[in-house]
Amino acid sequence: MFYWLRCSNSPDSTVDRPQRDMPKPGDRSGGAGGPDGGWGWVLVAAMFISTSLVFGLMRSLGIFFVEFVHVFDESAQAISWISSIGLAAQQFFSPLGAALCNAYNTRLVVMVGGLLSGLGLILASQATCLVHLYLTMGVISGFGWALVFTPMVATVMANFTRWRALALGLGFSSIGLSSFAFNPLFQLLVETYAWRGALLILGALSLNIVACGALIRPECQPKARAKEDSGSGSPSRSNVLQRAASHLELPLLCERPYLTYTLAVTLFNFGYFVPYFHLVAHSRQAGFSEYQAAFVMSAAGATDILGRVASGWFSDLGHFRLVHLLTLWTVSAGAFIMLLPVSSLSGSYAALVAISLLYGFGSGALTSLVFAVVPMIMGVERVMGGLGLLQLIESSAGLLGTPLSGWLRDVTGNYVASFLVAGSFLLLGSLTLATLPHYCSCTDPPPPPPPQRRSSQGSHQDPFPPTRTTERRDGRRGEVQAAGRQREF
Amino acid sequence: MTSSWKQQLVQVLLVLVSCGHGDTKTAAPTPTPLPPVTPLKQDAKSAVLTGKNFTERVELSSPVNMTLSCTWKGDQDKPPNITGHWRKDGQEIQDSRVTVMLEDENYKLIQVFSVVSEKDLGNYSCVFGNEARIDFILEVLQMGEKRDKPVVSYIRDFVVMTCKVEENKPIPTTWNWYTSNGTDKEQINTTASKRFKIVSEERETKLKVKDLTLDDAGQYYCGAVYPIGTSVGQVELKVITFMEPLKPFITILIEVVVLVAAILLYERSRAKKDSAEGTQTNAEQNTEPQGDDKGAEGNDSVRQRK
Repeated sequence: MFYWLRCSNSPDSTVDRPQRDMPKPGDRSGGAGGPDGGWGWVLVAAMFISTSLVFGLMRSLGIFFVEFVHVFDESAQAISWISSIGLAAQQFFSPLGAALCNAYNTRLVVMVGGLLSGLGLILASQATCLVHLYLTMGVISGFGWALVFTPMVATVMANFTRWRALALGLGFSSIGLSSFAFNPLFQLLVETYAWRGALLILGALSLNIVACGALIRPECQPKARAKEDSGSGSPSRSNVLQRAASHLELPLLCERPYLTYTLAVTLFNFGYFVPYFHLVAHSRQAGFSEYQAAFVMSAAGATDILGRVASGWFSDLGHFRLVHLLTLWTVSAGAFIMLLPVSSLSGSYAALVAISLLYGFGSGALTSLVFAVVPMIMGVERVMGGLGLLQLIESSAGLLGTPLSGWLRDVTGNYVASFLVAGSFLLLGSLTLATLPHYCSCTDPPPPPPPQRRSSQGSHQDPFPPTRTTERRDGRRGEVQAAGRQREF
Repeated sequence: MTSSWKQQLVQVLLVLVSCGHGDTKTAAPTPTPLPPVTPLKQDAKSAVLTGKNFTERVELSSPVNMTLSCTWKGDQDKPPNITGHWRKDGQEIQDSRVTVMLEDENYKLIQVFSVVSEKDLGNYSCVFGNEARIDFILEVLQMGEKRDKPVVSYIRDFVVMTCKVEENKPIPTTWNWYTSNGTDKEQINTTASKRFKIVSEERETKLKVKDLTLDDAGQYYCGAVYPIGTSVGQVELKVITFMEPLKPFITILIEVVVLVAAILLYERSRAKKDSAEGTQTNAEQNTEPQGDDKGAEGNDSVRQRK
C-alpha cells in the first residue's frame, strides 16, 4: 500500500522508473536520479519549511535590528553585522555540513542543524550586549543553518530526476513567501513580547527544522558513492585527511566543468544582491515617495516567487536544456538590472515598476535553475559536496559585491554605475556559462564519472579525467559509458 | 494682563483713526514693541473662510508678536458693515468688538497678539457677526514620531524610552521626564532614584530604567522645554514576566517533539511491517539467491547508464 512512498534505493522502485532510450533535449542524465514523486514531494514540503525558516527568517530580522539600535545604543551598521555574520557562517560552513552528511547520516545532520539554529536564537534572547548577539544569532545559528540548507537541497535533488527544477523552484519559493508573512508576524511578536520574548519564540519556531529533518528517510538520503576505507585498522593522519578530502569532494576543484560553473555562479553573486540592497534607496533618490519605492520592491519580490516556480515547471517540460535556460534568465536579469537606472532616470514610475517586475521574474527564475544545473555538472552522487563548495566560493562574491556597489555609489553620487556594474557581472557570468563543455549541443552530456576510488597506493590521480569523456561525440556516448562501467566493476 | 489688552486696543483705535475708513485692507498694523526688554519676533498667520468654520493650528516655540488676520467672503446678503470680535478660548476678549467694512466682497479682521508665556497660548478666534468663525490654535511645538504602541519589557530587565524632535524644528532648551502619579505628573529625579538615567542630546532624549518591577509600568511623559512652554510626549511602559513568552515557546516545543516522535514512530512501524513481509518473501525465494543478486546488479548498471 505504501509502495509509492518508497525511495530510490529499495530494489522494487526501479520498475516504475521511466525507461528512456532516445535522449531528448531536456534529458536529465544527471547520474543516478531519484524516482520523482511519492515521498519526494513530502521532502519538497520539508525543504519549503526549512528554507523559509533559514533564509526567510534571515531576511526579516530587520525588524529586530530597529529594536537593537534602540536598546544597545549602537549604530545601524554595527547591528547589521549580525545578519552578515549569520549569512557568512551559513555559507562558510556549508562544505562542512556537506562533508558531515557524506560521512554520516543526512537526517541526523539536519536535525542537529535545526537544534543549533533554534538554540542560537534562544540564547540570543538572553543577550546583554551586542557581542552576545554576534556569537549566538550570528555564529551558532549560522552554523546551524549551514547544516540544514545544503543537505536539504541535495536531498531534494537526489530524489527527483524529471521534475528536479520544479521541485527546487517550489522549495525556494518559500523564501519570498515567508518574508512576506514573517514581517508582520515578527512585528506583532516584538510588540507583544518585546525583542527578548520574540527571539525566544523564534527559536522555538526554528526547532521545527528538526521535524523537517526527521522526514528524511534513510533510503531517501543522497547516497554518495561509498568511500573505500583504507582497510587497515589504524587511522593514519594522511588517511583521515584523504577521507576528509573525499567527503568534502575536494577533487571537484580540479575539474574544469565544475570550476567553470563555480566561476559563473560567483560572477552572478556579485551582481545578484545589488538590487535587493539598493533598489529602494535608488527609487527614493529618483524622486519617488517612500511608499512607491517600497511597492517597487514588493512587486519585484512577488514576481521573484512566481519566477522560481514558473521557471522550474517550464524547464522540467524538457523542451530546452537547463544550461540554455539558465543563460536566458541570467542574461535577461542582467539586462534588466542595467535598465533599472535608465528607466527611473526617465522619471516614469510605470517604467520603473515594469522593469522591476521583469527583473524580479528573471532573478527568481535563475535561482531555481542555478541549483538544478549542479547535478548536470558533476552527477547526483557528488552533489552534496559540490553544493557545499559552491556555497563557500560564491559567498565571497556576495560579501564583496555589495560594498563594491556601495563604494561606486559614494564615488559617483548615484546608483547608475552600481546597477550597470552589477548587470554586467551577470552578463559576464552568462558568458562564462557558455564556455562549459558541450554547451552548444542539443542534449545534455553525461556527467563526468566520479574519480576512481582511491587505490591502495593512495594516489588521487584520476587516470581518466572527466574532460576527455565529455568531449566525445554524443554518438559514441554509449561506448564511453561502457568503458567506464568496465573500469568500475 | 488687562493692561496689555488695553494697549493693544489703543493701538488699534489709533490705527483706525489715523487711516480712516475702508483702509484696513492696507498694511497689517505693525505693532510697536511692548514693554518687555527684548524686542519680540514678528510672525503672521492668515486664513480665508468660505464656509462657517475653519481651524488652523500654529506651532510656536518662542515668544512672538503674532498677527492674526481673518478674511471672510460673507454670505448671500452682504451688509456693508458687520460687527466682528475676537475670542480667546471661547471667551470674548474685552474691547475687541470692531465694525468691519465690506471691501472687494470681503470682510477682514486683523489683530496682533503678544504671545509671551504658556498662558498666552490657546484658541484664538475671530468672529464675524455671530456665526462665521476662524480658529487659530496657538500651541507649543508638537513632537513628531508619536509612538502609539506601548514599550514592553521584562522584570529585572532594562528599558530605554526615547522622545525625539524632528529635524527641521527648533531645539528645546532642556528635556524633562515625568511619571504619572495618580492624576498628576511628577518629575523624575535621577539623583534620588538610581535606577533612572536620563541622557539628553539636542533633539533626542532617552530615559533608561534598569531593574524593572511591575510597579514601574504605566505612562511616562517626556517634556521638551521651550521658551514659550513645554511640549509633552507620552510613552507607555508595560512590564511583563518571563512567563508570558514562555507559554507559546513551550507550546511550540511540545508540537515539535510530538511531530518528530510521530514521524519516527510511523517510519519504524512501516519498517517493521516491511521487514515482516520481506522475511516472508525471502523464505519463499530462498532457493534462488544467485538470481536475485544478478538482477540487482543488472538494475544497478541500468541506473548507471542513465
